Amino acid sequence: MIEGADLIQAAAFLGAGLAMGLGAIGPGVGEGMVGAKACEAIGKNPSEAGLLTRTMLVGQAVSESTGIYSLVIALLLLFVV
Amino acid sequence: MEELGKIHQLIVNLSGYQMTFNLDILVMTWIVIIGLLVFGFFAARKQQMIPGTLQTIGETFVFQFYSLTEDALGEDMAKSYAPMIIALFMFVLFCNWIGFIPHLYEPTNDLNTPLSLGLMGFVIAHYAGIRQKGFKKYIKAYFDPIFFMAPLNIIGEISKVISISFRLFGNIMGGTIIVLVVSHLVFSLLLPPFLNAFFVLFIGGIQAFVFTMLTLVYIAVQVN
Amino acid sequence: MMSIDIEAWVKVAAFLGAGLSMGFGAIGAAIGEGFAAAKANNAISENPTYSGDIIKMMLVGQAIAETAAIFALVIGVLLLFAAGGNVSMITAAGLIGAGLSMGLGAIGSGVGSGFPAGEACAGLARQPALSRSLTTTMLIGSAVSQTPAIFSMVIAFMLMFINFSGGSPHMVAALLGAGLCMGFGAIGSGIGSGFPAGQACVGLARQPAMGSRLTTNMLIGAAVSQTPAIFAMVVSFMLMFVSFAGTPVHPTSAALIGAGLATGLAAIGSGVGSGLAAGAGCEGWARQPMTSGNVLVIMLVGQAVSQTPSIFGLLISFVLIFKGYAATEVFIVSTALLSAGLCTGLGGIGAGVGNGQVAESAVSWVARNVEQEAVLMRTMLVGQAVSQSTAIYAMVVSLALIFLV
Repeated sequence: MIEGADLIQAAAFLGAGLAMGLGAIGPGVGEGMVGAKACEAIGKNPSEAGLLTRTMLVGQAVSESTGIYSLVIALLLLFVV
Repeated sequence: MEELGKIHQLIVNLSGYQMTFNLDILVMTWIVIIGLLVFGFFAARKQQMIPGTLQTIGETFVFQFYSLTEDALGEDMAKSYAPMIIALFMFVLFCNWIGFIPHLYEPTNDLNTPLSLGLMGFVIAHYAGIRQKGFKKYIKAYFDPIFFMAPLNIIGEISKVISISFRLFGNIMGGTIIVLVVSHLVFSLLLPPFLNAFFVLFIGGIQAFVFTMLTLVYIAVQVN
Repeated sequence: MMSIDIEAWVKVAAFLGAGLSMGFGAIGAAIGEGFAAAKANNAISENPTYSGDIIKMMLVGQAIAETAAIFALVIGVLLLFAAGGNVSMITAAGLIGAGLSMGLGAIGSGVGSGFPAGEACAGLARQPALSRSLTTTMLIGSAVSQTPAIFSMVIAFMLMFINFSGGSPHMVAALLGAGLCMGFGAIGSGIGSGFPAGQACVGLARQPAMGSRLTTNMLIGAAVSQTPAIFAMVVSFMLMFVSFAGTPVHPTSAALIGAGLATGLAAIGSGVGSGLAAGAGCEGWARQPMTSGNVLVIMLVGQAVSQTPSIFGLLISFVLIFKGYAATEVFIVSTALLSAGLCTGLGGIGAGVGNGQVAESAVSWVARNVEQEAVLMRTMLVGQAVSQSTAIYAMVVSLALIFLV
């Protein structure tokens, strides 16, 4: 016999996995694009390597924010719900 | 297919813990080490201006990896780290290639060997980082770019050890399994020697190179 | 409840498996052949004088790109007529697993082997005199791209014809997991090995003198891109041959399917990513033959790092397979374990592709601006380390799901 509370808990666990798993796809590809363009820019203009690396890190940090939202939701689903 | 997972084990009881030693792998590792020592002895014995075969092979290893180390770490540090990098490459390469000789098999086929090599690289990289940058700057790197990233940075560092050792282990073990399965499917006719050559010599060589380069790169990342 | 006897279930599974095999298996080859035809049309409009040669090349290329779909057809026909000798639920699971393995596994190789076919047509329009060496490179490239589909076929054969029916009840989940793992795991590597093969054909038309060295680089790049598929194969083997007798059926079954999904899905991204780096390596060799050594080094490092997400998948699979579970009838634990596998698997896709994009760009710029090799290597590694972080989050969530639940 499946009880309601069990069902909710199981759904929360499945949701946590899916939230983090699917949520990681976008930022992974997006940050890769940022990194690729940074490498290209450094190849074209090596004298600005330091500035470009910093810009890359900021850009990646911003595009990672959706991944961190997923992580937060996943942890909430795991431990709070 | 029965030979999959059949190993000789030595189980030692140490105050309640059961320590398991895989004897086959130990023996194979020692064969590799002795082989390397013998190779080194004969390659360096009579050094001549016009080198013999062994000396040429030895010089190729040393020269190639010395210049790679120099590119990554700079001239000063290359002097102290190149011997380790060259030795690491030769050890991993011999470990991977020893499977080509019948009745011998790769020590890297057991997760313990790549894992210990990976841990060794990890310790050396962090030691080099602390020595080069000083302890304060080394610790500060973990709080980059923002302080709450520290736990994730630490997990990221640990995951490097996992990825480098599982990569070597997975490739070598995957090759062994494929050769075994295909041999059974074609009744050991015709195909297995070529497959063996491909997976042992080619993939084994590439993975030895990748393992060494990644260890070198991890050191370079810590140092810079 | 309907009462259906096990014999009927085996038949159902065989037919379902045949449908899955041919249905999924047709996707990739069709895309690949379409790519080849599109490139051939382009080539003919550029150089109509050699339309006959180009059409011949296109047909040969398409015939090879179809191999993966033919594998799927063979497995499908065998499932319809020859499989299912033993009557048990485990056999039924094996048949569905075989269909999944072959069907999904043919997608990548079909797409991948379309690239060399198309690029060879384009190259022929540019350098009609090279027809013979272009054909050779294309044939080698397509054959290399088929390797992941061959892995899938081997696994499918084993799932169909080895008699697992005496095994413990876990085998139902284990065989399904093995099929899913190999099927998904071959997609990325199949597409990925197509990139270096295609770029080798482009490069050959650009720098005919580099011919044999380009083939070498293509082989190295494609072989490394196939590592994720080899990981998937290793996990499939463990699922088939590790004995789970004595462990409780309930959470273990879910863990086994989760283990298959973790490595299989994570291998998609890593396969494509390492292929992108390998393609850029071939392009670089053709563009700047002088820098080939530097390009090879950064290509191998970039590919190796792109594979990290699939290694996380492998790790989670090992944990899921070998962790002992307490017997429980509560399905919460099962859900958590399945979810752990899905999480690392899906989470690795993006990071793998992203790391590959970074490596691709770094490799192609090392070829153009070799003095900046050290800076580019460092930027690439930093960029990849950051874009990997989401895969690490996914792994952390999976470990929490496995150990804290």
